Amino acid sequence: MAEEALASLSVFFSPICSSHFVPWKLDAPFLSLPLRTQFSASAESQKPQLKKAPEFPILEKQNWLIHLHYIRKDYEACKAVIKEQLQETQGLCEYAIYVQALIFRLEGNIQESLELFQTCAVLSPQCADNLKQVARSLFLLGKHKAAIEVYSEAAKLNQKDWEICHNLGVCYIYLKQFNKAQDQLHNALHLNRHDLTYIMLGKIHLLEGDLDKAIEIYKKAVEFSPENTELLTTLGLLYLQLGIYQKAFEHLGNALTYDPTNYKAILAAGSMMQTHGDFDVALTKYRVVACAVPESPPLWNNIGMCFFGKKKYVAAISCLKRANYLAPFDWKILYNLGLVHLTMQQYASAFHFLSAAINFQPKMGELYMLLAVALTNLEDIENAKRAYAEAVRLDKCNPLVNLNYAVLLYNQGEKRAALTQYQEMEKKVNLLKDSSSLEFDSEMVEMAQKLGAALQVGEALVWTKPVKDPKSKHRSPSASKAASVPQPLGSNQALGQAMSSAAAYRKLPSGAGGTSQLTKPPSLPLEPEPTEEAHPTEASAQIREK
Amino acid sequence: MAAASSSDSEGGRAESEASSKWLDAHYDPMANIHTFSACLVLADLHGDGEYKLAVGDLGPSGRQPCLKVLKGPTVLAESALPALPAAAAAFLMGQHEPRTPALALASGPCVYVYKNLRPYFKFSLPQLPPNPLEQDLWNQAKEDQIDHLTLKEMLEGIREKAEVPLSVQSLRFLQLELSEMEAFVNQHKSKPIKRQAVITTMTTLKKNMADEDAMSCLVLGTENKELLVLDPEAFTILAKMSLPGVPVFLEVSGQFDVAFRLAAACRNGNIYILRRDCKRPKYCIELSTQPVGLVLAHKVLVVGSTQDNLHGFTHKGKRLWTVHMPAAILTMNLLEQRSRGLQAVMAGLANGEVRIYHDKALLNVIRTPDAVTSLCFGRYGREDNTLIVTTRGGGLIIKILKRTAVFAEGAGEVGPPPAQAMKLNVPRKTRLYVDQTLREREAGTAMHRTFQTDLYLLRLRAARAYVRALESSLNPVSATAREPLKLHAVVQGLGPTFKLTLHLQNTSTARPILGLLVCFLYNEVLYALPRAFFKVPLLVPGLNYPLETFVESLSDKGISDIIKVLVLREGQSAPLLSAHINMPVSEGLAAA
Repeated sequence: MAEEALASLSVFFSPICSSHFVPWKLDAPFLSLPLRTQFSASAESQKPQLKKAPEFPILEKQNWLIHLHYIRKDYEACKAVIKEQLQETQGLCEYAIYVQALIFRLEGNIQESLELFQTCAVLSPQCADNLKQVARSLFLLGKHKAAIEVYSEAAKLNQKDWEICHNLGVCYIYLKQFNKAQDQLHNALHLNRHDLTYIMLGKIHLLEGDLDKAIEIYKKAVEFSPENTELLTTLGLLYLQLGIYQKAFEHLGNALTYDPTNYKAILAAGSMMQTHGDFDVALTKYRVVACAVPESPPLWNNIGMCFFGKKKYVAAISCLKRANYLAPFDWKILYNLGLVHLTMQQYASAFHFLSAAINFQPKMGELYMLLAVALTNLEDIENAKRAYAEAVRLDKCNPLVNLNYAVLLYNQGEKRAALTQYQEMEKKVNLLKDSSSLEFDSEMVEMAQKLGAALQVGEALVWTKPVKDPKSKHRSPSASKAASVPQPLGSNQALGQAMSSAAAYRKLPSGAGGTSQLTKPPSLPLEPEPTEEAHPTEASAQIREK
Repeated sequence: MAAASSSDSEGGRAESEASSKWLDAHYDPMANIHTFSACLVLADLHGDGEYKLAVGDLGPSGRQPCLKVLKGPTVLAESALPALPAAAAAFLMGQHEPRTPALALASGPCVYVYKNLRPYFKFSLPQLPPNPLEQDLWNQAKEDQIDHLTLKEMLEGIREKAEVPLSVQSLRFLQLELSEMEAFVNQHKSKPIKRQAVITTMTTLKKNMADEDAMSCLVLGTENKELLVLDPEAFTILAKMSLPGVPVFLEVSGQFDVAFRLAAACRNGNIYILRRDCKRPKYCIELSTQPVGLVLAHKVLVVGSTQDNLHGFTHKGKRLWTVHMPAAILTMNLLEQRSRGLQAVMAGLANGEVRIYHDKALLNVIRTPDAVTSLCFGRYGREDNTLIVTTRGGGLIIKILKRTAVFAEGAGEVGPPPAQAMKLNVPRKTRLYVDQTLREREAGTAMHRTFQTDLYLLRLRAARAYVRALESSLNPVSATAREPLKLHAVVQGLGPTFKLTLHLQNTSTARPILGLLVCFLYNEVLYALPRAFFKVPLLVPGLNYPLETFVESLSDKGISDIIKVLVLREGQSAPLLSAHINMPVSEGLAAA
């Protein structure tokens, strides 16, 4: 100390760049003795010590500089200062080692950083921070159990640290001990609320498949930090999954207000706009995403289905094919491609896309039905029947499957079998009517009535709804979803369209030949509408979310 | 200085200057100033109404610290410093006239005070009390009542448990080998044990009046997690407060004698808010990342984080808003335009931008040629609103805010993002595609049937070929239980002589294979091989055996043919496996 202080004093008093100081006329005062006695006294008192033993450097002399370089991400400068300080203190400066370890970890050398943190923990065993970092490195190395042990050690030293609780919770999530994880995360929230903890808690509920609880958590999180776009988007997507479109749109909209380029929120909001037929608005929004993430399969799928909704089929196929190129194993894109090709009456191509989709997703009735429609049009009645049989076997709630099958059977002259299918369809319709107020597609109703007449079963079936209840409409898709498939894929209209092409193929006098594609009045906002095929994309956005 | 800045294209500059709120007063990329915002001070150091810029400079490699005083674009004076400056501040020490502010420079454990640019006073932080147990031990050592090993053990025990950390002397002693201990103890035992704190940050706090030219106290943050308030006249410690972390940035409002609020951003990632008359923090903001800057503007505490966000907090620690920056924040400072009563936050970013925010509204963006390392705004020379910027390479930029300039909210980014106006890149389809579509519509059924028929045929043929291959061991991998073998062949050379290498591998786990033969079948008119039939050595499991042979092409007509390789077992006529090698066309002249 004395040596250094003395050196410092001498420098302090002597003018270094005297030439510069001339205009200030500072030479004399700089050489003169200090004005205060304290100053000189301290200088004198330190002189005798110098001769006895060398002074030790102050260990923490440049900690502030190391820290400043570190937070400014100037790691090279930081390392230089660390090296200097460690040399000077012979490796005793704990903070320098600590930051060196942090930098190692940022550079991906987790093992080295772990060793350095352990050195720090030896230098000052009472410090919870060092233990926390050791645990963090262990966590990053995937040693979750070891990390939990060290975190628990750290928790003994510092009991009111939300970070320890939070990280313990995260470790437990990775070990799939969700109950413990929840406890720790709730502890963390109790100590101090952080967005990250909410996200993790929500994740646990999602992993457990409990959407309602997850929504509760995210609601609280959004209340706590109303501008966090990630929270808003996730909540919006969860509402979307449950079919509560109003709230979903509200939250996604909020997210977009704070961050107009949020990829996930735009995709989800865009797909909702598509559901309502606002194709142009959706396309405008997609432009932002197309700029930010030009190689996103769900994006191009949605754009494709926008064009489909606008009846620009060639553009739709181009976009869907790009989506398919980017994600060749995504059955939803293949489904949409099949659908568009059916609409374009390219049955041979439709067959290929649909059979590819079935290879990836063999458990969906609607896919087999579409395949059957394609086969019917390709005059392969035998296989069409087999596909219908599979569709009927897999599908539990969609009356269209049975209706289309019945039409085919009737056209083939198998009236008895057709009647069976017709009755199956009636059952499903009644079931749907009881469970929800789903609006039936008018074209489907018309077709069913014609078939009923042809089969001479009369008009017993009541298709029309008693009252249109605007509120309950919101829930309708969720009800149908709960019954079988996760998304209301291939809406009535789309299938109705497919069906009508199947029906138009043969004798039944229908006149439906694919002309009545947009029959719904656009004033009803939340009905399952022509382009609900866009839903697969929402789903994929959600899947990635998880 | 005009010469230094005129390198840009004049036309573009004039245009941008007209619309800009700033006048480019000076730009020197080689000013050789390396510092932080905390070490920049604008003050009327001579009391002549001409404001100077005092810079605590770290030196080009952080090794030659010096104090620079700039007047306009030129360096007035430069004086070397004993240690790196952590912070600089200008403050009024007393009520006397003339009211010339003193310059304080915090460095290591000391504050150096300059008045009229002359050294005036040096304040050193008081020594920290040593651990009494440690003191005892060394006292015993002094009187030789304790041997070195016991001393070491006892000290280690203290290190494990004690609240007060050990002194450097003891820590160094613990590192020593047994042989070195004696000398060390003899050399150091008579010295008192010392623990010295270091100043990490410094700011000023008005003493008892809010006026601009009122006396201010210095507020110091130290490495041992304390905040000290110094009396401006006597340099005694007026108040001492302790923090749970090491302070990095300080922001103060109010007056010491009346009421004040102190916000300290600490190394543990938290920001603590203290008030007068409380020794401990009143509120705590947990950022969960490191703060890179702290500015108090209009009672809103603006914090920059290492995750490129600016957060606004109330003085009670409630988060108000968050803004995301396009690049890492390097430094922050306050922009105060007194004439319009504006307080805004400037953030210097790694991409060379300086962004000015009023709350969360972006007011202005200044682009600089390099990453900004420090910022300072205030009166410089005789100009009220001057912005000082230093850049990573040591450059100095001085900009003057136009007197007509008004910062309007929403001047930054509003409305939809620019990407929304871009056209979608939808892949185009060709005429051919449309024609094929039409053809498919007309003859879809036929196409489908043909395709299905061909597909069945293809499958049938594939199956047949596979069966045939299996029956005659025509495949290069033999899967029989006794001789699991793998073969692949490589042909090298341009011709007429080729080198043919067969790689033969025994794929069984343990059993070596003995007694194999290799036979080549080829057209003798086209090719000549030195040996068409040879024995294979013992094949150790797992190893790859390259078997080389030369093939000479005899034809000069550019014809090539297949050479068949058969691997046989001695005494059996059916091959174990076989390979067909498509020989390349000989590109060289046929051998005469």
